[in-house]
Amino acid sequence: MSPRAPGSPQARTEARWGAIFAAPALLLIVVILLAPLAVLVALSATDYRLGAIAVRMIGLDNYAAMFADPVFQRSLRNTFLYVAFVLPVAVFGGLGVALLVHARIRTRTIYEVIYFLPVTSTLVAMATVWQFMLHPTLGPVTPLLADLGFGRIDLLNDPDFALGTLALIGIWQLIGFNMVLFLAGLSAIPRELYEAAALDGARYGADRFLRVTWPLLGPTTMFVTVTSTVTAFKVFDTVVVLTRGGPLGSTETLLYILYLEGFQYFRMGYAAAMTVVLLVFLAGLSILQARVLERKVHYA
Amino acid sequence: MLTRKQLLTGTGAATLAATLPAERAAAQAPVTLDVVHAYPSFARFFAPIAEEFTKANPTIRIAFRQIIPNYDELHQALLRGALTNQLPDVTFSGFNRLPELARTLAARNQIIDLGPLIAAEGATWASENFSPRMLALGKVDGTQFGMPFNASSPIAYYNPELVARAGGDPDAFPDSWDGVIALGARIKRAAPNAMGVSYYINSFDSDWLFQALVQQGGGRMLSADGKTVTFGDAAGLAAVRLARRFVTECGMELIGADQNRQQFATGGIGIIFDSPARLSVITGLVGGRFPLRTSPFPITDKQNGGVPTGGNAAVIMARDEAKRRAAWEYVKFSAGPLAQKIAVEMTGYLPTNLRAAGPEFLGSYYQQNPNARSAALQADRSLPWEDYGANGPRIHRAQQEILTSIMRGDLTPEAGLARLVEQTTALMRAA
Repeated sequence: MSPRAPGSPQARTEARWGAIFAAPALLLIVVILLAPLAVLVALSATDYRLGAIAVRMIGLDNYAAMFADPVFQRSLRNTFLYVAFVLPVAVFGGLGVALLVHARIRTRTIYEVIYFLPVTSTLVAMATVWQFMLHPTLGPVTPLLADLGFGRIDLLNDPDFALGTLALIGIWQLIGFNMVLFLAGLSAIPRELYEAAALDGARYGADRFLRVTWPLLGPTTMFVTVTSTVTAFKVFDTVVVLTRGGPLGSTETLLYILYLEGFQYFRMGYAAAMTVVLLVFLAGLSILQARVLERKVHYA
Repeated sequence: MLTRKQLLTGTGAATLAATLPAERAAAQAPVTLDVVHAYPSFARFFAPIAEEFTKANPTIRIAFRQIIPNYDELHQALLRGALTNQLPDVTFSGFNRLPELARTLAARNQIIDLGPLIAAEGATWASENFSPRMLALGKVDGTQFGMPFNASSPIAYYNPELVARAGGDPDAFPDSWDGVIALGARIKRAAPNAMGVSYYINSFDSDWLFQALVQQGGGRMLSADGKTVTFGDAAGLAAVRLARRFVTECGMELIGADQNRQQFATGGIGIIFDSPARLSVITGLVGGRFPLRTSPFPITDKQNGGVPTGGNAAVIMARDEAKRRAAWEYVKFSAGPLAQKIAVEMTGYLPTNLRAAGPEFLGSYYQQNPNARSAALQADRSLPWEDYGANGPRIHRAQQEILTSIMRGDLTPEAGLARLVEQTTALMRAA
C-alpha cells in the first residue's frame, strides 16, 4: 500500500472521518479522566475545606506542608516498606507456586482453586477472619508462636510487627492472583522449545527454566510486577479494618492518610495535593518498570 | 386529603376524622419530610417512631433517605448536600459534629434556629420536657440549632464472676477510680490470663472515653469559649496517670476496641467502659456466658465532675414554610416521651425527655432491665462532648497516639500530658 499524498482531497476526507470516529473516545477520555485530573491539580493549590464558602489560592503551600508533615513522611516510609516487602514475595512467590502447580497433572485444579480462593473472597470479610486469628487471647496465632518459642507476640497491636503482618496478608491475597497470571503464561510456552532445549543439552530443570521458561515469561512477569506494585501501593482495606493506621501510626499508609485528610478531616485541598503526589509516584514507578523491563522482555 | 399509603392501610381516614383538630387538618396539605440519619442499626427505632408519628399526624409522611454508616460520614454527606442544595429536611447530627455543622450551615443560611419554635410552644413546655443541661447539648454558640434526640454517657460493664473470684462484691461496684484499679489488680491476680480492667482509649473510635476520664475528675478539655485547651491541669494529669495505671496495675493490654469487646464477652476481661448504646450488642456478644452487669461511671470530683454526652440532635434544614412547620412537629415528636421510650428500649440510650421516665412510659422498663438503668442514673452528670472545631478528628488521632505512648510507658504521664496539650493547641490553630 502506498501512502496517499498528503493534502490530496481523499486524504483530507479520511483524516476528517478519522477524527470524527475518534471524537467520542477522545471526549470520554477528556470528561472522565483529564478534566477531573485538571480539577484535582487545581484543587491542590487551594485551601478548600468541604462545605466552606470561601476558597483561597495558596499555590504550593499544601505541597510544602506535606513534605514537612511528620505524619506524611511516616506514611510514605510505611508505604515504601510495605511495597518493598510485598512486591518481591508476591511476584516470585506467585511464579514459584505457578511452576509447582503447573507440573501437577491430576491435582492441578485443586491447587489452583486453593491458591485462588483468597482472590475471590472479599478482603474486608477476610480481614474480620484475620482479626480473629490474630486476636492475642482468642485467636490461635499468638499461642502457636508462643509454643514455637517466640514468646508472646501480638502481631496486630505491636508497633514493630503490625506493618509486617499487614504485608503478609497482602501477600496472601496477591500470590493466588499472580499464580493464575503465571499459569496462563506457562501454558502459552510451546512444548517444542523444551524439546529443542533438551537436544541442545539443557538437561536439568534449572537450565530449562533459565533458558526457556523465564525468558518466555517476560511479558507476564512485567505485567504482574506492574499490577502488583500498583496494588501494594494502594494498600487500604486491611489498614481500615484491622489497624486504622495504629498502633502508634506504624501502619499508616499513603492512601489511608489521604482518606483521613479528605474524608475525615475534610481538608480537600491538602488531600488533593496528596493524591497528585501518589499519582506521580505510581505513574513514575510504572513507567520506570516498563522502561527497564521492556529492554529485557522478549515478546514472542 | 389522603396519601395512597394511608388509604391502603385504612388508618388514614379514621385517624384524620377522630383525632386531628379540625383547623390543623384544614390548614395542612400533605407534606413529605426528607429525613436522613446515621447508623443502619438505628432503623430499629427510627422506623417505628416515624410510624407512630404519622399515626398522630396523618398529613405528614416521613421518607427516609439511604442510611449513612456513622456520624462522620453523615456530616460529610450533609456538607456535600449543602453545596448542591440537596440537604434533607431533617437530620440527626452527632453531638461532636453539631457545632461544626451548625456553623457551616448557618453561614450559608441553611439551618434554622429552634429557639423561637420552642418559645412558641408556651412558657413551660421546655422546662416540663427537658432539663437545661440536656437542652444545652443542642446549643451552638448560644443558639439552639439542635434538639437532643439520643444521649448517652459512658458506663462500666463488668463480669460479676471475675469480680467475685477476685474477692470483690459484684453488687457494690467501686465508685472511685482508685477502687476500680484496686479491683482490677485483684482480678488480674485471681485470673492471670485475663485483663483486670481495659479502658481502651488507645483504640476507641473517638476521644469520648478520654474526655470522660478528664471530666469525671472535674477537668474540662477547653475553656468556656472553646478557644483554649484547659486539660493540662491536675485533672488532666490524674487522667493520664490513670491511663498508665490500667496497664501497670490491672494488666491491660493495648488491643483494638472490637478485640476488647470480644475478649470481654468471652470472660477475658473483668471491667470495660463503653457506650450504653452498645448494651444490646454487648449483651448479645456475651450470650449466656456470664450474668453481665453494668454500673454508672465512677466520678472522682463529686462537685464538678461529669461525663461527656454522646448521641445526636435533630436539626431542621427545610427551606419552605410548610415543610419547616411539619419538620418541627416531627422533631418535637421525636424528642417527646413516646418516641424516647421506643428509642431507649431498642438501644440503651438515655431518654432526652424528662417525662419519658414516668410510669406510663419507661418506668417498668428500668425495673425489668437493671443494666439499662446505669446510664439513666448518671443523666444529671451529663456534660457536653467538647468540640475542638474543624480539626476535631485529626486532634483525636494525634491524642490517641500520645495516649498510647503514655500507656506503653514510652512517655511519662507528665511529659505525655504536656505533649497532648501542645499538639492539641497547635492543631486547633492549624488550617
